[in-house]
Amino acid sequence: MNKNSSMSVLFKGILKENPVFVLILGTCPTLATTTNVVGAFGMGIAALAVLVCSNILISLLRKIIPDSVRIPCYIVVIAGFVTMVQMIVQAFFPALYEMLGVYLPLITVNCIILGRAEMFAGKNSVGKSALDGIGMGLGFTLALVAMATIREVFGAAAFAGIAIPFLEPYKIEVLVKAPGGMMVYGLLIALVYALTHGKAPMKKSFSCAGCPNAGNCHTAACGAENTDNVHNEAATEKGGAQ
Amino acid sequence: MDMFKSLIIILLSSVFVNNYVLARFLGICPFLGVSKKLDQATGMGIAVTAVMLLATAVTWPIQYYLLDKVGLGYMQTIVFILVIASLVQMLELILKKFSPALHKGLGVYLPLITTNCAVLGVAINNITDGYSFLESMVSSLGVGLGFLLAMVLFSGLRSRIDETNIPKPFRGLAVTLIAASFISLAFMGFAGIVDALFA
Amino acid sequence: MKKSIVSTLVLVCICAVMAVLLAITNAITAPTIKANEDKAANEALLEVMPNGEGFEKVDLSAYTLPATVTEVFKETKGGYVVKMTTTGYSSGMVIMCGVNPDGTISGTVCLSSSETLGHEKTFGAGFTGKDAASVDAVDTISGATKTTQAYKNAVKDALNTAIILGGGSVDLRDEAQILNDNLSAALPAAEGKFTKLFITEIIEADCFDAVYTADNGAGKVFVTENDGYEGNTCYTAVDKNGNVTKTTYWEEALAAYNILTASTVEIIDLKAYEGLPTALTSAKRTATGNYILTLNAAGYGINGGSEYHPASGQYILVMVSLTKEGKIIDTLTLSQAESTGIGDACADEKFYGQFDGKTAEDYKNIDAISGATITTNGYLKAIERAFECVTILEGGAANE
Repeated sequence: MNKNSSMSVLFKGILKENPVFVLILGTCPTLATTTNVVGAFGMGIAALAVLVCSNILISLLRKIIPDSVRIPCYIVVIAGFVTMVQMIVQAFFPALYEMLGVYLPLITVNCIILGRAEMFAGKNSVGKSALDGIGMGLGFTLALVAMATIREVFGAAAFAGIAIPFLEPYKIEVLVKAPGGMMVYGLLIALVYALTHGKAPMKKSFSCAGCPNAGNCHTAACGAENTDNVHNEAATEKGGAQ
Repeated sequence: MDMFKSLIIILLSSVFVNNYVLARFLGICPFLGVSKKLDQATGMGIAVTAVMLLATAVTWPIQYYLLDKVGLGYMQTIVFILVIASLVQMLELILKKFSPALHKGLGVYLPLITTNCAVLGVAINNITDGYSFLESMVSSLGVGLGFLLAMVLFSGLRSRIDETNIPKPFRGLAVTLIAASFISLAFMGFAGIVDALFA
Repeated sequence: MKKSIVSTLVLVCICAVMAVLLAITNAITAPTIKANEDKAANEALLEVMPNGEGFEKVDLSAYTLPATVTEVFKETKGGYVVKMTTTGYSSGMVIMCGVNPDGTISGTVCLSSSETLGHEKTFGAGFTGKDAASVDAVDTISGATKTTQAYKNAVKDALNTAIILGGGSVDLRDEAQILNDNLSAALPAAEGKFTKLFITEIIEADCFDAVYTADNGAGKVFVTENDGYEGNTCYTAVDKNGNVTKTTYWEEALAAYNILTASTVEIIDLKAYEGLPTALTSAKRTATGNYILTLNAAGYGINGGSEYHPASGQYILVMVSLTKEGKIIDTLTLSQAESTGIGDACADEKFYGQFDGKTAEDYKNIDAISGATITTNGYLKAIERAFECVTILEGGAANE
């Protein structure tokens, strides 16, 4: 497969470079909005919409935006789209708006979106950037829904708000609370690693690779890992191409 | 007296009960990324607390005296994130110029903070919760201290994890998250305690 | 230099473009958002006024309303929905109550609360259709006296608010305030601070229901309820110089004042008598031979104890004054450590006031404290001991 074929751009986000389980990006909403399937799906779609829109616009403007102010420009574009999505959700899906609360405006600082702008949209054509946005957004949504399904079914004995009566006596309520989120996430990461036999470009440890400031950040905060990140990043790109 | 009491309640509940990292999942990235060593965790925690206080001090008046006045409340997110980004930039420049020692200690964490969702989160939450300026500042202080507390506690735990032999699939982030879930479990014990203290 | 100007320009342009896009989105979505919000707000209002058509928020700045009222909405047909924040067992109980134009309650709901038992969530249904006269008759939640009372008071506040907003006037003072105002009118020198006295001797004048002494020593006020002459409550004040208000009872009041200010009480040596109950902690004999006893009552503080209320090891301390014939003149709970909101009602005059005028034959004919059997039984035992004490103390006196 050609390194940059459209299909690989689209599908790498869903599996090989799944933003949640492989790239470990956007951890905050992953943990916070996966207490039920509806919220997780809503968050995923909202992020997908922002991701696609911002990827397209940033890719369009990539030749105009001067390198020195690109991060502020990206932030403005993303925050703008987030606010639009926020208003649309508030107008047409008020229940979802209530459910997501502060996590909706916080899509602005979701590493996935700024990360894709910096890593992909700022360097690639409009079409590919849009596909990348769709792929990453779908990967994010799928991961959220998968995690939410586990948490809701076993933690609240329900799926998308519909009660599953026979599970009621066995539900593990801590799963829908804060600790359960981290626990399930940790177990899923381990599971993905085991299933792929470590072939996925899994990062050994959390690092700054996904952080949009990684470029600016050659300092001690990221420690010795920083070089690894660069290496990892390169591996990621190759991994996507194999 | 009542005001003092409500401020204490806001402070304690944002440190313990509604700890941003452990109960509300805001600021997870630096929590997992920069908690490997105690000195880094402390530095990051202090830097975040400082930026939160500064950000609230600026965004609160902007919301109430500028955006709401001209009916541009919907520009909240875009304005707040820009304000926070420029504040962080300015803070870094100022530190660099006037206190190189402090810059050396904290400056390295500052670029990471711009996109820390806990900072934007606390600025937005202070507005949605309808806090007064004083209450907002106290809440930001509490959230910052809660973040610092979580970072420091967790860095201690992580150094232990690094010394143990863990099954391969769990190495790295997986075991870190599971460890974090236990700290979060411990913090659940604080739920309800603050109200009960002052009932 | 040129580079940085270009950079700034680009950033400003992008900001401007995004701002325009946002303004457009806002223009499109704002009406829907507003409609959603109105609908949500109306839904809550409709819950307490199901046949309401449209609601409009009332500007409250021109009215003096009960302190609990936070928001009022006027219904097109003339009813009101009143939102209140009150304190039951704990603070912050938000209640919304709809009042029809005819003064009946169309519905109430508790929007948020942190009460212990959670009954307040369903309690509101009982008020539908009631009016000012029948609110008190709504069944109390057993074991949640404070919650119930706060809820009833809130409903009354809502009814009063509707009257005030409708142009009427309502006495917003509560009982304690009315009493204090009347006492202050009788004895202005007291500056509004009074303490209720424990009636001992002066009951012999038999016309006074209560005596209040000014905290600053300015004098005493004697209260006669249902004054036979005019049917009102009569306040007779005696100031520290012996000047008395010329009411029907001024002579009795002056006599009683003199008795109260003279020290005519003899402290009884309990060791001089055999067979006195151990619950008796002190006994006094007055100049006319009546008794003032203090007794320990074993209530929940001694016998109870649970995860909610660890036994404090504290008795209820009860003070009883009795005539030498064994009739109770007055009773008072001096101290107690019973369960908050339940057994602590034994310190309420509504409970211990029931013993006034009772004898060993009929003292059990009182209303028990709801949900606090152990407290009530302990209290009754102490009262029974008081009668025993009088018999023994009288017998001892006769033997001398």
